[in-house]
Amino acid sequence: MFGRIFHMLLKEFLEVKRDKWERFRLLVPPLIQKVLFGYAATFEVYHVSTAVLDLDHSQESREMVSRFTGNGRFDVEALPSSSQAMRGLIDRSKITVGIRINPQFGELLRKGQTAPLQVIVDGTNSNTALLALDYVGQIAARFSSDYQRDYMNRIFPEYQVMLPSAKMEERPWYNPDLDSQWFFVPGLVGSIALMTIVNVTSFAIVREREIGTLEQIMVTPIRPIEFILGKTVPFFVLGLIEVALVAVAGALWFGVPFRGNPLVMLLGTSLFLISSLAVGLLISTTCRTQQQAFASGFFYLTPAFTLSGFAFPISSMPTVMQWITYLDPLRYYLVVLRGTFLKGTGLAILWPQMVAMAILGVAMFAVSVARFEKSLD
Amino acid sequence: MPNDGNISVRVDGLVKRFGSFTAVDRVSFSAYRGEILGFLGPNGAGKSTVIRILCGLLRPSEGSVIVAGVDVGKDPEGVRHHIGYMSQKFSLYNDLEVSENLRFFAGLYGVDRGIAGDRIREAISLAGLQGHEHDLTGTLAGGWKQRLALGCALLHRPEILFLDEPTSGVDPMSRRQFWDLIHGMSGRGVTVFVSTHYMDEAEYCDRLVLMNRGRVVAMGTPPELRHLVKKGALLLAKCEPLGTALQILQGSPGVAEAAVFGNSLHVRVEQAEDALVTLPAMLESRGVKCVSLKPIEASLEDVFVQLAGEQSAVRGGPDR
Amino acid sequence: MSPRRLIAMSRKEFIQIVRDPRSLLIALLMPVMQMVLLGYGVSLDAKNIPVYVYDQEGSQDSQALLKRFQASPYFDVRKTVNSYRDLRYAIDSDRCKLAIVIPFDFSRKLRDTGFAPVQVIVDGTDDNTANLSKGYARAVIARFSADVQHNWLQRQGMPIAASNGNISVDTRIWFNEDLESRNFIIPGIVALVMALVGALLTSLTIAREWERGTMEQLLSTPITPSEVMLGKLIPYFMVGMADAALCLMMSVWWFGVPFRGTLASFFTTTALFLIVILGIGFMISVAIRNQLGASMIALLVTLMPTSLLSGYAFPIDQMPAAVRAITYLVYSRYYVTILKAIYLKGVGVKALGAEMTALAVYAAVIGLLATRAFRKTLD
Repeated sequence: MFGRIFHMLLKEFLEVKRDKWERFRLLVPPLIQKVLFGYAATFEVYHVSTAVLDLDHSQESREMVSRFTGNGRFDVEALPSSSQAMRGLIDRSKITVGIRINPQFGELLRKGQTAPLQVIVDGTNSNTALLALDYVGQIAARFSSDYQRDYMNRIFPEYQVMLPSAKMEERPWYNPDLDSQWFFVPGLVGSIALMTIVNVTSFAIVREREIGTLEQIMVTPIRPIEFILGKTVPFFVLGLIEVALVAVAGALWFGVPFRGNPLVMLLGTSLFLISSLAVGLLISTTCRTQQQAFASGFFYLTPAFTLSGFAFPISSMPTVMQWITYLDPLRYYLVVLRGTFLKGTGLAILWPQMVAMAILGVAMFAVSVARFEKSLD
Repeated sequence: MPNDGNISVRVDGLVKRFGSFTAVDRVSFSAYRGEILGFLGPNGAGKSTVIRILCGLLRPSEGSVIVAGVDVGKDPEGVRHHIGYMSQKFSLYNDLEVSENLRFFAGLYGVDRGIAGDRIREAISLAGLQGHEHDLTGTLAGGWKQRLALGCALLHRPEILFLDEPTSGVDPMSRRQFWDLIHGMSGRGVTVFVSTHYMDEAEYCDRLVLMNRGRVVAMGTPPELRHLVKKGALLLAKCEPLGTALQILQGSPGVAEAAVFGNSLHVRVEQAEDALVTLPAMLESRGVKCVSLKPIEASLEDVFVQLAGEQSAVRGGPDR
Repeated sequence: MSPRRLIAMSRKEFIQIVRDPRSLLIALLMPVMQMVLLGYGVSLDAKNIPVYVYDQEGSQDSQALLKRFQASPYFDVRKTVNSYRDLRYAIDSDRCKLAIVIPFDFSRKLRDTGFAPVQVIVDGTDDNTANLSKGYARAVIARFSADVQHNWLQRQGMPIAASNGNISVDTRIWFNEDLESRNFIIPGIVALVMALVGALLTSLTIAREWERGTMEQLLSTPITPSEVMLGKLIPYFMVGMADAALCLMMSVWWFGVPFRGTLASFFTTTALFLIVILGIGFMISVAIRNQLGASMIALLVTLMPTSLLSGYAFPIDQMPAAVRAITYLVYSRYYVTILKAIYLKGVGVKALGAEMTALAVYAAVIGLLATRAFRKTLD
């Protein structure tokens, strides 16, 4: 039995070595994806293009404007002279945030009344808008409290110390700078592995079927399970290598820390690869041509990505969608990846993910093998 | 022979190279209106390449190719209206119905709307597909597919028809019917180029071009070609055991060549009368039983084996 | 250009699409699937953020603060724990994304020193959710703080005016008033679907003819290269336009995304975008005779840039300068910008002049290259 499996393995290896497209598929898309994602994928707002319209020209309003110009996040790109002009800037997407300081801003403050600060934000990208608004709010609050302290200092020096206020002290754990790359790079390891393995596995078998070598192999004394092992073991090894490469490259290139135990990640990766191989196998039992395999792979991969929490938080999805995510092995694998990379968590925390992947993997593999054996008859 | 100077194809010094490989080497010939010209040779001889060049699908590396008065090297598009082409592999759309395929090609050839309907009906009856107009082409049997492909290639009434191994993979009955159609075409003045590696089919052609390794080995009518072998005589020998007999004969004096044909041997000798006496005696003396030995007419296959053999001898290379 | 040959070619191609269940599936089911999946699955909004609380003090003040968190629609206060270790475990195992720690001297500091810190721990793994939840938490605490001040001044018998320097941030959100991420993502999905369907289908048209051996027959006919291109692409163009209409209807009627522009501008830009996508697919198909290779490359040059560099989800102006420079080469960038403007802003073609021009130039160049890509010889 091992002799036959060995020969299958050898043949697979030779085929990968000779096939130009096979090599292309294994190398180029993952690399491009990795680099592009690493650099392009960010929801963070580093700079907000801003216009400030000061209709007051008081000392207070100038102070307010300087808070925006002096803040690294706000790029004050225009100082329009009218609301009309500011509206045009937003319409043409030149700016995201428009700050308008009404006349009497300083006067109201001096009279002890609440002075409104008008903020117009382009809500097209809701996420950017939300974050930008938060930053505006922070600046306004700091201005407000500084002004207040100053005022109290002058009028009621004795109360100044006593005026109560509660302040938030933020402590982002595991990703102190809230760097997007730290979020995406571990996730990419999982999604690249999924894409490569499902594609390669489904194609490999379908191709043999298409060119008729599958029949030729099946008339030899090889048993179906030996054939399946011979087919899947190389891809399993390939998957491990690819994960290792992408993980190491990502960690070094993008400076993402790896805080956990590599063995825990290896276990998670192995369990995940089993389920991916099973999907590839399943596709190859239903497809007759490589084209069909390609399309079917696509139909599996898109939901698998979208529902995994790779970019979009699962907790924000509708409840029904959230239930479906429990069937997605990538969902669990991403928790393992982010846990081992960023949090340094071990099996004590990650065991439910491991169990879920093991159950899904074994079940899917069993179904695939059964279907595959049937498809040979 | 329609040798009235009415030349429809003239090829002169044609060379086609793919990288360093020379697929067609200095080939020259002419074809006349209404003639059936057969290209004969083993796989890789360059037959398909020549036909593809004549259709303007490949550009010649050297030499001139005039088809229907058009210089194909300079104007590969200009020749398309005058020719019909049927490639080696079946190349109609399997997922289209019979009539849809015909309508499609009628459109591509720009057949006038007014007569397209009639032409399509003709093509269907030519292929014997009446009642199957709405069958998916992929479900047809091989012979029918071939005749449908021929029908497609004839929709625009081309002056010249190129058929690249049209009968490969078709059963003998269908092949017979197919050749009847080709003869019909030539009767109507269509020049037909056929490449084949079935030697028996070559007998149906008016003239033959024998090709081997990119070169023209011989050219002429089938009787002319057979005559080439008659430098000497051909004997049919039935011996027991065959292998030993072949070995002995190949080295014997007076024997030019010996080759296995089915379960007997074809032996080419310099002198038939002598050989009929000496050979059986020699074989018997070496323990081989000679059941029968008689002179036969050379087939085209014999011609080919001989000529190809001479060519390799000249080039000094091993035969394929 | 012979209309007769063009029609014959288009009709054949159309019959083949309709007769091939796989193409039909890609052409019709794929857009619906993608819309539903991405429309529901892709949301950046942080709602019901799971929160754990570690209240070291347990005073009236700390409880008052926590009540405000409970009242906020953004937070889902799940549990109170009594140690950092429990918090750590909760965050490690993804049970909560944010934790509030109120120090044991919270009320005393609030009363005596006038400055009481509240610790907010966020799980930084998902930086975007962390940023959003941080912002919401800050807002809750600030409101609490303002009220405490207000009450204090009142108790001191000081005029309210003393709570001087208050600035109310009066926010006007334009275009996507409820700040729903679905509203900005779904217009982008239209581009994604077009790119996917167009590329997958056209990248195969030529490769398929080679692999099935029908190409030689086609080449031996008088059809010209530009007739082949147009004849093949017209049916896919119609499929693409139908898909665009389907996506538009789903986004407006199913997902309730506002559509403020005109249908004319929507379909004009979609037509330009389709010309680019189909032209690229066609050129790939001409260059790569292997169906598999063709579809791989097609995904690489259409879907990948459209999903990453078009700004459909990831804002372009936040990317590093080098990557931002690359996005100018990505045709989908212009289409996505225009789509978002048409959907949400309802601005006319005038305001989008630059993007429209860029897309039109792209379409012209690709169209021209595509007619020249196809050669009618075998070598």
